Amino acid sequence: MFEVLSHVDPNAVGPRLGRLSITGRREFETPNFFALTSRGVIPHLTPDVIAAHTRVGGVHIALEDFIERAVTGTPPIMNCPGSSPLHTFTALPKALPTLLAPRRTPAVSAPNGNSNTAISIFTSTGFQVLSNKSYLSYIEKLQPDIAIALADVPYGTLPGTKRIAKMGDRTQEWLSQLLNEKRKEQVVFAPVLPIDFLDQSEYLNSIADDLADEVSGLAFYDSNLLPDIPATTAITDLPRLSLDEPSSPRQILRQISLGMDILTIPFVGFATDAGIALTFRFPRPLSTHAATSKGVGALQLGVDMWPAVHSTSVDPLDTSCTCYTCTSHHRAYVQHLLSAKEMLGWVLLQIHNHHILSEFFSSIRKSIKDGSFEADCEEFAKVYESEMPEKSGQGPRVRGYHFKSEGPGEPKKNKAAWGNLGSDDQEVDSDLVPDETADESDAKGFAGRMEA
Amino acid sequence: MPSALTFELIARCSTTKARAAILTLPHGPVQLPLFMPVATQASLKGLTPQQLEESGCRLCLNNTYHLGLKPGQEVLEKVGGAHKLQGWKHNILTDSGGFQMVSLLKLANITEEGVRFLSPHDGSPMLLTPEHSIALQNTIGSDIIMQLDDVLVTTSPDTKRMREAMERSVRWLDRCIAAHANPAKQNLFCIIQGGLDLEMRTECCKEMVARNTPGIAIGGLSGGEAKADYCRVVNTCTNLLPELKPRYVMGIGYPEDLVVSVALGADMFDCVWPTRTARFGNAITKYGVLNLRHASYANDFAPVEEGCGCVCCRTGDGGLGVTRAFVHHVAAKETVGAHLLTMHNVWYQLALMKSVRQAIIEDRFPAFLRKFFSDQHGGDKSKYPDWAVEALNTVGVDLMED
Repeated sequence: MFEVLSHVDPNAVGPRLGRLSITGRREFETPNFFALTSRGVIPHLTPDVIAAHTRVGGVHIALEDFIERAVTGTPPIMNCPGSSPLHTFTALPKALPTLLAPRRTPAVSAPNGNSNTAISIFTSTGFQVLSNKSYLSYIEKLQPDIAIALADVPYGTLPGTKRIAKMGDRTQEWLSQLLNEKRKEQVVFAPVLPIDFLDQSEYLNSIADDLADEVSGLAFYDSNLLPDIPATTAITDLPRLSLDEPSSPRQILRQISLGMDILTIPFVGFATDAGIALTFRFPRPLSTHAATSKGVGALQLGVDMWPAVHSTSVDPLDTSCTCYTCTSHHRAYVQHLLSAKEMLGWVLLQIHNHHILSEFFSSIRKSIKDGSFEADCEEFAKVYESEMPEKSGQGPRVRGYHFKSEGPGEPKKNKAAWGNLGSDDQEVDSDLVPDETADESDAKGFAGRMEA
Repeated sequence: MPSALTFELIARCSTTKARAAILTLPHGPVQLPLFMPVATQASLKGLTPQQLEESGCRLCLNNTYHLGLKPGQEVLEKVGGAHKLQGWKHNILTDSGGFQMVSLLKLANITEEGVRFLSPHDGSPMLLTPEHSIALQNTIGSDIIMQLDDVLVTTSPDTKRMREAMERSVRWLDRCIAAHANPAKQNLFCIIQGGLDLEMRTECCKEMVARNTPGIAIGGLSGGEAKADYCRVVNTCTNLLPELKPRYVMGIGYPEDLVVSVALGADMFDCVWPTRTARFGNAITKYGVLNLRHASYANDFAPVEEGCGCVCCRTGDGGLGVTRAFVHHVAAKETVGAHLLTMHNVWYQLALMKSVRQAIIEDRFPAFLRKFFSDQHGGDKSKYPDWAVEALNTVGVDLMED
């Protein structure tokens, strides 16, 4: 299923090229990324748009997005007909490999901890307990292309020494139950916990010594563990997936330099929701003009599309970008859509941002192939800023299952879109009234200013 | 006055007043009768212009009021109009902005000069005139532009005010015609007013038809009047309108209203309902509207509508095979749920009008109407709305007949 195509030295830490092929799905070269889904959709993108305008390697699907009805009965997805219920239920393109994880990335931390047999999850109707036993039955029925075994990951809190001691044991137990009970064809990735290697050495050594043939890959909750993994041939040949949450392209590069194969990248979605169009290329901008005109280290990773400076720009979001958004539309439109809070604004940004990321990974693979990865990373660090630009505008509405309430007195996550009409003491608060003064409306030709 | 369209009558129903035609506009031909989806702020609620194009839509609406506020005339001018702004290669119709003025803004009042209102931002008095509206629509560059009219709820009991509104609308039409800078590229439609008073409507029709605009709209309806009254107004007006001009009834979109209005001789319709209701999780189908947020759909793995040809419902050949269960799963939780139903609902409306057109061309429209109402009401004639039965009777179709 996974083939390492190039590796300088199996014992040394370094970037590598690979190819992942899953029967019936589009094979893809690594390093690459899996798009994150929310309730089975890549946010903002309908499946036809995904098929027509993106080239993501696969999709990361969180089980907790589907099982809110588990407390009262059988979740609908478990009744979905067909041999590939995840694809059938979500209508995602058949070509895309699916990766099933118990929790979303990033996950909301649960008030209750995990137990010896179950973890806490956050569904759209609240917190629930997901036992390993039921997780196995979900995998059995849903037949994801890749399943990540249940892991005892403490979200939000730093685990104490007692907890740390349990994490490896529990995860090891849950993994071996999965390996014992799964269908023969089910591909399983073993989780690597976000704690020191020594604290989970027993668990990881058992994978290296006994289970390397049975697991098909490793899923890292912390990519820094990668260099510590025993470098046996069987382990080295496994694909490595990162559930770590890089906050910038530099961190992506760092993970790849450690030998990561498949990444999940929450910041793409954050950028889209913030109205930021990603513009970074690897290792440098496509047009040398942009690089030299601004000087070293000055280039932004993305452009905030909210400001009015874009309002009349008929330029693409990023020069020479070949995505649907950049070839069919321009900055003025995206700026207008954001400012009018039209959903299409985020759709167009999401298409573009995923395209930029696909291009980024494609350039990275070429760079590794050419043996210039290290030098290219250095150049990238010089040419681009290290972090994403600040967001200035509002994102789309936040939904209840996206965040956890932190207690009483919390401010509203979403601004009220409508106010009461008609009563005089009520201020009209809606998108449908002008933001500007009468003079500006007059200047815009919207209506004429009258003498008061 | 000059015109930038051609109207070719293809067929006439031998029983009702329904007609099929080809309307050729500056951005290509459209087939009448026609439903126009509403892309209020230059975007159809989350659909890419490409998706809208793939649904078969060739004429959509933008709202002048909204575009005038955002992005504003100056931006539109610099970008080169609404087509360029939204990357839409096909036709656009814009309303005049007057309706939103009156319906959305407090303290708007109408004088002979135009619509007076207080800027909601700083409270200073402002005025929207017919000249402003036309200038904005000229900048937007829409293929069909609408006159500014004096809109009054049809149910208003004040006949004096109603007459004033009707007569003022005629005077404003003259000002719009005079102000129109691109009559060779943009088609100005007049708007018949006159409330539910058939005599006033008749008078208005005569006055406006005499102005010889490229197309004619019937306005002021869809504001809560009884459906029977609505039908009488449409029926009266279409009798008085020239045969070889498109007739547009504003604000109509329920499937039953559409088919009846076509039978009464109307050609073009627009409404936000199909796209708005999609965002509430409602799917329009041949057998009525399904609220897919209802728990009964959680385990329903049938397509949104069996046999529907839209991207969502179709399987194979680029179709997505979206199930009701999935729409239920994402409706009101992910915007994609709204996008999927928007695609379906727009497709439904366009497909409905296509099948209406085909029935007219093949001269089996009365049979089509009987089948349509039977499907909508599960074959139960007692559930048929009285207004529809009555209205169709006036054009020679008896829905109760077997």
